[in-house]
Amino acid sequence: MTAHTLIKNTQAESALIDAFAKSIDTLPGAATTTTARKTAIGGISTRGLPTRRVEEWHYTDLRNRLKTVPEGDARASGDALNALAEGIARIDLFDGNVPSDLPTGVQVTHLRDLLERGELDRSLAPADPEDVIGALNAAFVSHGAALTIDAGAKLDKPLELSASHGPGQAHLRVPVSVGADVEATIVERQTGEGAAFVTGVVDLTVGDDANVLWVLVQEQAVDTDQLTQMKFRLGKNARLTLAILNAGGRLVRHEIRGVLEGEGGDFQMRCVNLLGGESHVDVTMVLDHIVPNTTGTEIVRNIATGKASGVFQGQIRVAKEAQKTDARMACNTLLVSDEADFSAKPELEIFADDVACGHGATVAEIDEAHLFYLMSRGIPENRARALLVKAFVAEILEELDHEAISEALVSKVDDWFSKNG
Amino acid sequence: MPAVQETIEQVRTLDVDQYKYGFQTDIESEKAPKGLSEDIIRLISQKKGEPEWMLQWRLEAYKRWLSMEEPDWARVSYPKIDFQDIHYYAAPKSFKEGPKSLDEVDPEILKTYEKLGIPLKEQEILAGVRRADEPSQLNGDSDDDISEAPYGKGRVAVDAVFDSVSVATTFKNELKKAGVIFMPISEAIREHPELVKKYIGSVVPQGDNYYAALNSAVFTDGSFVFVPKGVRCPMELSTYFRINEQNTGQFERTLIIAEEGAYVSYLEGCTAPQRDENQLHAAVVELIAMDDAEIKYSTVQNWYPGDKEGKGGIYNFVTKRGDCRGARSHISWTQVETGSAITWKYPSCILRGDDSRGEFYSIAVSNGHQQIDSGTKMIHIGKNTTSRIISKGISAGNSQNTYRGQVSVLRKAGDARNFTQCDSLLIGNECGAHTVPYIEAKNASARLEHEATTSKISEDQLFYVMQRGIPEEEAIALIVNGFVKDVIQELPMEFAVEAQKLIGISLEGSVG
Repeated sequence: MTAHTLIKNTQAESALIDAFAKSIDTLPGAATTTTARKTAIGGISTRGLPTRRVEEWHYTDLRNRLKTVPEGDARASGDALNALAEGIARIDLFDGNVPSDLPTGVQVTHLRDLLERGELDRSLAPADPEDVIGALNAAFVSHGAALTIDAGAKLDKPLELSASHGPGQAHLRVPVSVGADVEATIVERQTGEGAAFVTGVVDLTVGDDANVLWVLVQEQAVDTDQLTQMKFRLGKNARLTLAILNAGGRLVRHEIRGVLEGEGGDFQMRCVNLLGGESHVDVTMVLDHIVPNTTGTEIVRNIATGKASGVFQGQIRVAKEAQKTDARMACNTLLVSDEADFSAKPELEIFADDVACGHGATVAEIDEAHLFYLMSRGIPENRARALLVKAFVAEILEELDHEAISEALVSKVDDWFSKNG
Repeated sequence: MPAVQETIEQVRTLDVDQYKYGFQTDIESEKAPKGLSEDIIRLISQKKGEPEWMLQWRLEAYKRWLSMEEPDWARVSYPKIDFQDIHYYAAPKSFKEGPKSLDEVDPEILKTYEKLGIPLKEQEILAGVRRADEPSQLNGDSDDDISEAPYGKGRVAVDAVFDSVSVATTFKNELKKAGVIFMPISEAIREHPELVKKYIGSVVPQGDNYYAALNSAVFTDGSFVFVPKGVRCPMELSTYFRINEQNTGQFERTLIIAEEGAYVSYLEGCTAPQRDENQLHAAVVELIAMDDAEIKYSTVQNWYPGDKEGKGGIYNFVTKRGDCRGARSHISWTQVETGSAITWKYPSCILRGDDSRGEFYSIAVSNGHQQIDSGTKMIHIGKNTTSRIISKGISAGNSQNTYRGQVSVLRKAGDARNFTQCDSLLIGNECGAHTVPYIEAKNASARLEHEATTSKISEDQLFYVMQRGIPEEEAIALIVNGFVKDVIQELPMEFAVEAQKLIGISLEGSVG
């Protein structure tokens, strides 16, 4: 079968193609944007959504898993949602409203305006044929905001990007440009209710010597399918810490595509995936070290219960020029239920010889010795077990640079356990 | 860091044209015309005197192959193979009838094996080989009760395969006394059709993958081993494969069956002459271990890797799979991969029986323009199954070396255990080392551990060794030997020495 052969579209594929035909005239954008959108959807209609035969989608057979795509704009007011912690300035991605207490040095532009001016056309093009999330988002994107943080700004409070949706479709994009020497904490909330299909792309550039803590909290409803992506580029001596808490959704895929472009760049990722019910959560990361002396540490902790299935794919690529790269990755999983499953694919692709790269992956039960220790101190087994399971994920969230946010994340973990424990 | 710099320099000047098995033997041979068709398959089948069912089985495989596409997921790149430009059958002319003893073997071929260092001729076996006109001396060559003969007496039974034909199998009679069947598979198809029919394709079905289907259609020779219930095979079994003819493909098929409680250790070695064209080797190896049986399969793969420009060399596209069919069965793969232009090989274990065990030990050394994509699959199906993977990759020159492995614990595989360690060592900055593990757990009691590292030779280690007065080259060699030790020690003694030597030769100029 050649690429030109038309495949028989699935229900979800047809729904996407129909939705596109219906909405293309009303979607914001210049004439060139419309062309870019058509190209993006064209790839989906000719090739279809990826199946497990596409290596990048091996564990998330999107074609089979995405059963339906609801109609209509899922835009809803985010008012019902409380900020993750006190003292956070919130930006609503649907209406682009800027809070009165926005820290100095931060500019927010409506995404719609950028689209109308055709300024996003280039960044809308999918990275490669496997970049299905980029393509879907490019085809439909209508909401979002662009953030610019001026060089040297030290934000006195965290920013929160929220887009709490209702039933229907939501397609969001957030281009973020962080200037040199900035210090910033940004919280991204992914939440809503009702049968929804959500795509989102964050396109982040971190300038030289900047230090960014990015916290992603995903708490979608059990009937929401969500495909999101974070692209980032790090400048010289820039540091990005990405904390992710996945605690919801039905079909969820979050891609991280990062490039360490400047010497001395450091990427830290702490990702907790709490998988329950019949959810399928896939975290896929591709990290490129392309210059000398960059470092990266990614720690992923997963708990799978119920009939949930989880995926972590992490690919570290070290280019020939990237000597002295220090790259570490660990993926640890606790399977709590016999009906849950987890698949991990931690990859190393190394072309430079003077590097120290490693990864570890485990799937295990709770350490019997730890359990014994707690029980010997009079803690009943159920409680001891629960403590250990919680500690297993909480410990990597507790060490974040922002205490209030750390605490908020740990309490989200508690909430999840009280619902799924 | 002068040490590193020097190493890199050495790699640059590295000459991979040091393949010492690159000679060609001049013997007259009979070849089937180039190309692949039903007629060629019929011809092969007829040359081998096969029964009708075998021919039908081949044709069925051919049909499947025609409908399949060449896989492209491995991290290797090469020009498209023209499957019509290959001779699918080549046999030295002098054995049209098949040799009855070593003396009937063309002396040129014996010389070849001598050059390869195969213990065909030099051992006492030869004394016992009968002449064509004499009664066999092997029948009465020893009064030893084989069942009591100490295992590993240093004797190895050898089956040697030259292009498409098996030229000699030694110790046949002694093995027969123990009840072990060890013979070329083409002979087994004639003499033990019921066994072959029962097991062939039961681990690697005809349509398993592109190259397995091709092999099933045109396989020419290989070994057949059957170790009956309760028998511990009295000696190591060994096969040497050699591609001699130009433009030929070698399609080896090996089938090893260990019945309840049986044990066998099997060694495989391969070489080919130095040539500018690429030659194809597409083998299928099937292992079957019943209750309490153990099969140990060791390979030293030293096909011609091509010259330093990356010209020529063998394409080694191999499907090897072991089926731990019985409870408490045990299959262990050990491989030392130093040759071939391109290697595509994943010796795997299907851990079907409860408490069964699978092991994979691998050293993959790549230099020049070699490309290796190799690893294993451990499929845990039964309860309490355990697997262990130790993979050591060393890349030098302009080579690419990929470990690709899968550990899968299925829903019912309670208490499955796996330990995986894959370490890569890079020598020089024109090469690549890659690790692609797939870890899949569907059972809550599974305990899987995977660890991978990529680094260069540690400065600290090198400094430590050198400051004790050991020259740099030797120091690097010492460290590399330490790096691969976990795997070397899994090899039978004779092979371990050879393997260490081979690694040395393969990396010559870069690690001494």
